[in-house]
Amino acid sequence: MAKVTVENLTKKYGKTTAVRNISFDLEDNEFFVLFGPAGAGKTTILNMIAGIGDPDEGRICFDGQSMNFIESSKRNVAMVFENYALYPHLTIYENIASSMRTKAHREPEEVIDREVKRIASLLRLEGLLDRKPSQVSNGQKQRAALGRAMVRKPNIFLMDEPLAHLDAKLRNAMRKELKAMQDKLQTTTLYVTHDYAEAMSLGDRIAVIHQGEICQIGTAEEVYNMPATEFVARMFGDSEINILQGVLRREDSTLKLVLPLSNRSYELPRHTAEVLEASGRKQVDVGLRSSAVRYSWRPEEGYVKGTVYTMEPLGNKVELTVKTEGGAVRLMVPVTETPDVDETIYLAFDVSGGIYFDSDSKEYIVCQKETAGKEGKR
Amino acid sequence: MNHLVLKHIYKKYSNGADAPYAVKDLSLEIPEGSFVGILGPSGCGKSTTLRMVAGLEEITAGDLEIAGKKCNHVPSKDRGVGLAFEEYALYPPLTVYDNIAFCLRAKKVPKAEVDQRVRAIAATMKVEELLKEKVGGLSGGQKQRVNIARALVRNPKILLLDEPLSHLDQKMRQILRREIKKLHNEIKCTTILVTHDQMEALSLADYIAVMDQGVLKQFGTPKEIYNEPANVFVADFIGEPPMNLLTVTANTEGDGTAFFEMEDGSCIRVPKRLQRNIEDKGRYIMGIRPTDMALTDRRDFDWECEVDVFEDLGEERTISIRIREDFCTMVTQEIQKYKKGDRIHVKLNPERVYLFDRETGERIGKGGYYGKDVQPQRAGGNCAESSDTGSLSL
Amino acid sequence: MEQKKRGEKALMLAGKVLLVFYTLFAVFPLIWMIIIAFKGDSQMYDTLFIFHPTLANFKNVLTKGSYVKAFVSNLIISGGAVLVSVLVGVPAAYALARYEFKHKEGVAFTILSFKFAPEILIIIPVFTIFQKLKLYDTYFGMIWIYQFIGLPLLIWVLRGYFEDIPVEMERAAELDGYSKREIFFKMLIPLIRPGLVAAALLSFIFCWNNFTFGLMLCGFKIQTITVSALTYISTSTIHYGQMAVVSVIAIIPEIIMCLCIQKHLVRGLSFGAVKG
Repeated sequence: MAKVTVENLTKKYGKTTAVRNISFDLEDNEFFVLFGPAGAGKTTILNMIAGIGDPDEGRICFDGQSMNFIESSKRNVAMVFENYALYPHLTIYENIASSMRTKAHREPEEVIDREVKRIASLLRLEGLLDRKPSQVSNGQKQRAALGRAMVRKPNIFLMDEPLAHLDAKLRNAMRKELKAMQDKLQTTTLYVTHDYAEAMSLGDRIAVIHQGEICQIGTAEEVYNMPATEFVARMFGDSEINILQGVLRREDSTLKLVLPLSNRSYELPRHTAEVLEASGRKQVDVGLRSSAVRYSWRPEEGYVKGTVYTMEPLGNKVELTVKTEGGAVRLMVPVTETPDVDETIYLAFDVSGGIYFDSDSKEYIVCQKETAGKEGKR
Repeated sequence: MNHLVLKHIYKKYSNGADAPYAVKDLSLEIPEGSFVGILGPSGCGKSTTLRMVAGLEEITAGDLEIAGKKCNHVPSKDRGVGLAFEEYALYPPLTVYDNIAFCLRAKKVPKAEVDQRVRAIAATMKVEELLKEKVGGLSGGQKQRVNIARALVRNPKILLLDEPLSHLDQKMRQILRREIKKLHNEIKCTTILVTHDQMEALSLADYIAVMDQGVLKQFGTPKEIYNEPANVFVADFIGEPPMNLLTVTANTEGDGTAFFEMEDGSCIRVPKRLQRNIEDKGRYIMGIRPTDMALTDRRDFDWECEVDVFEDLGEERTISIRIREDFCTMVTQEIQKYKKGDRIHVKLNPERVYLFDRETGERIGKGGYYGKDVQPQRAGGNCAESSDTGSLSL
Repeated sequence: MEQKKRGEKALMLAGKVLLVFYTLFAVFPLIWMIIIAFKGDSQMYDTLFIFHPTLANFKNVLTKGSYVKAFVSNLIISGGAVLVSVLVGVPAAYALARYEFKHKEGVAFTILSFKFAPEILIIIPVFTIFQKLKLYDTYFGMIWIYQFIGLPLLIWVLRGYFEDIPVEMERAAELDGYSKREIFFKMLIPLIRPGLVAAALLSFIFCWNNFTFGLMLCGFKIQTITVSALTYISTSTIHYGQMAVVSVIAIIPEIIMCLCIQKHLVRGLSFGAVKG
């Protein structure tokens, strides 16, 4: 348990820069998530904190003490690896006990026994302690790997995509187990994932990483509702957010939004209009999540005609890509809606639920949720 | 008319008396022109079934009829089936054209006709530009198209697809799935698709046969399978996140109300619809989908329970209640936040509570949902209020 | 259908008969060697399977001449060579599997290439070198040259084993607080043991049976059993019976070792020790 500070971390592999100028702080007992697509540099950051590979620039401090160039076995960090990395020739019991049998963390056998039993009951591994890792299921291996890391009191608990290799059902269940265990862990945790649901569910704060740089650090609500860039907006949600080019036009002294997709102008919520007005832009990018897209199978007032182009089932929902004259739009429908390919569908857009971005810099301007929050506070 | 009929089909791979059946007492009636998905976990006998239809495996017992004619011993090439496997099984040294033309040439079809048919099918499968290419250099998606084209060129009465999409990446899968659906709409050829991916079956098939350990668990339309699972296996297999399945004991009271007592002692009110189906002190498995549970207030609730895990996933929130070792999870759109230990009141969608026999796993008391499903209503509108499946909203 | 089944059965039977014939064909030299080891000199040149078995050959070999001494020498040389190969080969294999350094593949290939040239090709220069370094006819020199027989094999087999162990496992151990040395002995060695045993055994067999080096690089103080077999060829006659006895006794240690570690051998050569 420690406060962890990362300052201006940079790591280069040959000519490519894997991580550039990363800084963040982990509060004591915080669950901090590094979230980003594959190859964003998340694992590189994690490894540097663990002491596997030193940074080229920058500093890593545990409780204010610099950890650069200190061997990983002396940092007292615990890590859960993506592929579990259990010791295959040892039983689950011995795996969990292993750290307490090293010189650095040696404990008497009674203590080891007590601790292993405690962790095993916490992770529901009691019946499996005598088995070898090859004799248990993936989910159990994953829990054993967690147990091996949890058994001692590390400065920081590092998890590198611990759920990535589980199937969808097990992953969901394990995510909830982890969440349920958070209180019991009482440890500063750094968690790496590319799954947005894991990031939002588990993280006290989330750092979104893209191409070795941090795009945004914030709580789940902040990164979801007020994404700093269009990239961040695209990373969250089952169905990728629709980013539409909108034109702002003054009609009857109020600012209205025209979507080329539907060729009609929409009224904007007051606060949104004010902020957009102040930004002085004529063109904006509007991010519409699928919940801001309504659909109908019959023509209705204000709806745009389109055809179903693809259907991608995602859990209990289906993501439809609809082709309209103005471009393609994604939305989610229940899995029991089984439209035919090329079937006609009608769409309407709820622009008040949109997130507005600068069309050049792709950076966040305003959204309705922010307004709601502010008005609530007043 | 039923085009393909399987009557009490059995399949054993070895002869021993106690050798296991790969397929056991499988009966299916498949209407002409329909698209049937055979769905199940690996090793459930789905591929074996397909191979028996294709004539690649002998049938141990039972009858296979194609277009009203018994076909058990008709050789594969005379059954009029076209097969596309998971692996492409193309002839790598030949061009795409030669690959597609291969079986026609083997049948000594006149050259002009071969050319005409190959070009027609290539157009349907969008591989015209590739006809002169060698197969070795094609991408996975292109190979699978050629593979399906080759299966189609002999004008099969039945098209058999064995996991045709499972080797492709997400993007390609999406595109090819669309193509397959379109193709079937165009040529209306009886098609059987074997897959382990429930979502693929739900989105493509007119009818789905769910199999487990060689036994047919349910045969029906995707909506029937999803809304009216016949047993615990189907209920658990279909749907993501999966259906909550709770072991319960029934308690009927004198005044006509009934409760299910769960393993941890908490009680849940039994919907009226199911009351006539239960016996006092009977033990059942109750199933409910995460989307069919809603938060309610103190006045009218079915279940009072304690939040164990609360997750905010942006569009929706999940609340998980721990019952012994397992979670019972619900999905909600409400903005309200909860923390561990909060007491909540839950209302179940009474139409969508499923009851299964604890021993056999069979469904007890078909739902009231059936009647509604018959009307082809498709309410549009906001996703949040959503469609005829009601609670399955975003 | 009945006919088809009968046909299948006939085919299976024919296959089995062929296999039996081949086995006899393959094992025959070995059988013949054992037979003539028990034959007297008078019956040596007939090809009858019925004869009066005698232990005279055994008595001759074990009591007269230097065979027992050669046997011990052979044990020392082969055992020593295998020990050196293991001590050098395991760290070398680890380094080749884990570390990145310049010309890594070149080094690995060079090691393998030791096995390319037939021994007879290099024996003259080696002989002169041995003479100059005064290594001729010494245990040190023999062990030194013999360890080249098994080392490339050992390194290449073990390199594959080390590559199969996920590097994360070592890192996990490091984070658990193990020192590098502890990781090597407590975590890695148990995992490569099947491969180590199999490769070491094969090295031993190759060393044990080597003839060229034993013939050219020693002969007065030290003699290997393969060379000592030659002493039974005299100008006037060849004692086939006694040579057969030499060979029969020579294969005994190999057989014993194979039986003892059979379990490891199968697993070791079929891999898959860590995966899964």
